[in-house]
Amino acid sequence: MAALEVRGLRKQFGGVVALNGIDLDIGTDQVVGIVGPNGSGKTTLFNVVTGVHPATGGTVSWQGQDITNIGAHRIARKRLVRTFQQAMSFPGLTVDENVRIAWEQGRMGGSRWASPGKILDFVGLAPLGKAIAGSLPFGSLRRLGLAVALGVSPELLLLDEPGAGLNDSEAQAFAAVIAQLPPQGIGVCLIDHDMDMMSDLCDRLIVLDFGTKIAEGLPAEVLADPKVREVYLGPDRKVAAS
Amino acid sequence: MPMTDNSAGKTGAAPEGVRARDRLALLTADNAAVPLPTGVQAITAILLAVLLIALPWLGLGYRFLSIAITTLYTAIGLYGLGLQFGQAGIMSVGHAALMGVGAYASAILSVQLGLGFWTSLPFAMALSAIVGGVIGLPTLRVGGQHYIIITFCFCALFVIVLTNGGTFTGSATGLDVGSVTPLPGINFDKLSNNYYLVLAALFLALAATYLIGISRYGRTLRAIRENEQLARSVGINVDLHKLGVLMVSGLFAGLAGVLQLYYLRHISPTLFGAFPSLYLALMVMLGGARYLYGPLIGAVVVNFLPEVLNLDPVDSRIAYGVCLLLVILLLPGGVGAGIKNVYCAVRGGFEKQGGGTNGRA
Repeated sequence: MAALEVRGLRKQFGGVVALNGIDLDIGTDQVVGIVGPNGSGKTTLFNVVTGVHPATGGTVSWQGQDITNIGAHRIARKRLVRTFQQAMSFPGLTVDENVRIAWEQGRMGGSRWASPGKILDFVGLAPLGKAIAGSLPFGSLRRLGLAVALGVSPELLLLDEPGAGLNDSEAQAFAAVIAQLPPQGIGVCLIDHDMDMMSDLCDRLIVLDFGTKIAEGLPAEVLADPKVREVYLGPDRKVAAS
Repeated sequence: MPMTDNSAGKTGAAPEGVRARDRLALLTADNAAVPLPTGVQAITAILLAVLLIALPWLGLGYRFLSIAITTLYTAIGLYGLGLQFGQAGIMSVGHAALMGVGAYASAILSVQLGLGFWTSLPFAMALSAIVGGVIGLPTLRVGGQHYIIITFCFCALFVIVLTNGGTFTGSATGLDVGSVTPLPGINFDKLSNNYYLVLAALFLALAATYLIGISRYGRTLRAIRENEQLARSVGINVDLHKLGVLMVSGLFAGLAGVLQLYYLRHISPTLFGAFPSLYLALMVMLGGARYLYGPLIGAVVVNFLPEVLNLDPVDSRIAYGVCLLLVILLLPGGVGAGIKNVYCAVRGGFEKQGGGTNGRA
């Protein structure tokens, strides 16, 4: 049984059907990638799973418990944690305090980190501990977003476009940090548009289009799928040899 | 180990030393998140405590001491407002009404049931806290300016209810109470003893504010102020804590209201209307809601300004308006921020001259 099980998840905003019956199984030992064109429902999926928006229908269960619509903070406390597409922080507070806030919330029932400083060491922000979060350059802000999410001691981390706005070397460094998570028992599910990074990083890819899942499987299989090539990649894209 | 320890007293505003043309930017920066060295904090606290305790012996006269008492109980109410606005980011312009709830609860308990200062105090504080939470319910739906308007309406409504409450609330004339029940050997009819009573309560408010500020609870409140959505996503129950902080703020307001009642011995609805509420909002912004001594500084400035400059009430309102404009333009974080920024600038300058000590004190 997978840790996160999504069954027939639906979300409607007025007349717009953003999610139209999604089924997902995500474990805590893998990196799972979610891709798809803009507006295909990737971020909405994260928002509904983590309780930011209520679901219109379907269920989300986490470690055997139904967590559909129980509220964002309760879901986070169950160690299903997400980051946001627009790099978010507590901008007026120091980097130390940003991470400490999350760490203190995740400490109940035992944190995987001995102190907030360990998280800053892990993501490589330790030298910037005293800086005000709002003054960080964008790349560091992305790292801070990850550090805050890790602070809650997640078992599954949902990362919404963690590479957006980063240059190539920053994105690579970020991918290297993400790759270290599953061996430590932190599952990762991430949304991104960088297909090279995704096929390197992910054990499994899921493709969404118009709120439905159109493909799922190993990156190489999915990228070779004609339907995926048509709606997302474009017919001219060469399939990377893997 | 890289700089993750808390001992480095470096200012966050100037990580690479300070150039002269950056000085102005530094003076208007918001350094609220930067902790001061504990030594500086301790010395400030001791000097302030000594000054406040010695005040009645300085021979400054009856009038000065009366204004000082007014300043201190106002400051206690402001510490509640400072907590909800400075830490949690929820502003109110109806805070005097919340003090009024405490004051009237205590006065009515005294008139109807004969309860004295000490016995009515817990009830009055509890009622203020509950009312604070109830008026806070709209914060779960609306924030910012919308909630401020709601607090203003509450304030107006409160005055209307008091004015039309018949003999129960004393209508427009208000209610009278006796003096504070004496403790063994301490008679609170003496003005300096009343001053010490209010001062003790102020120390409690200050201590509570300080402890909340450095605690996990304080960080939780600041997280809500800075980014509600992120706060939720790290597991903070935002709704609960918003109502919670408004109730804590209500406790402070209730305490301040009862102290006000037993200092004046007579209260009427006009004390808790829109104007006093706006003054409270002015004081907390003037002093700096995010700074430990900000509310106290705001209360001192607003209460003593007309006295020092010899202004009549109309002129003093103009002076307050000008002060508020100047503070908003020049010191967005209030006078407290200004004092701290000057300290940080001087310190930054010394460190630059010290030859790049890499932020070590």
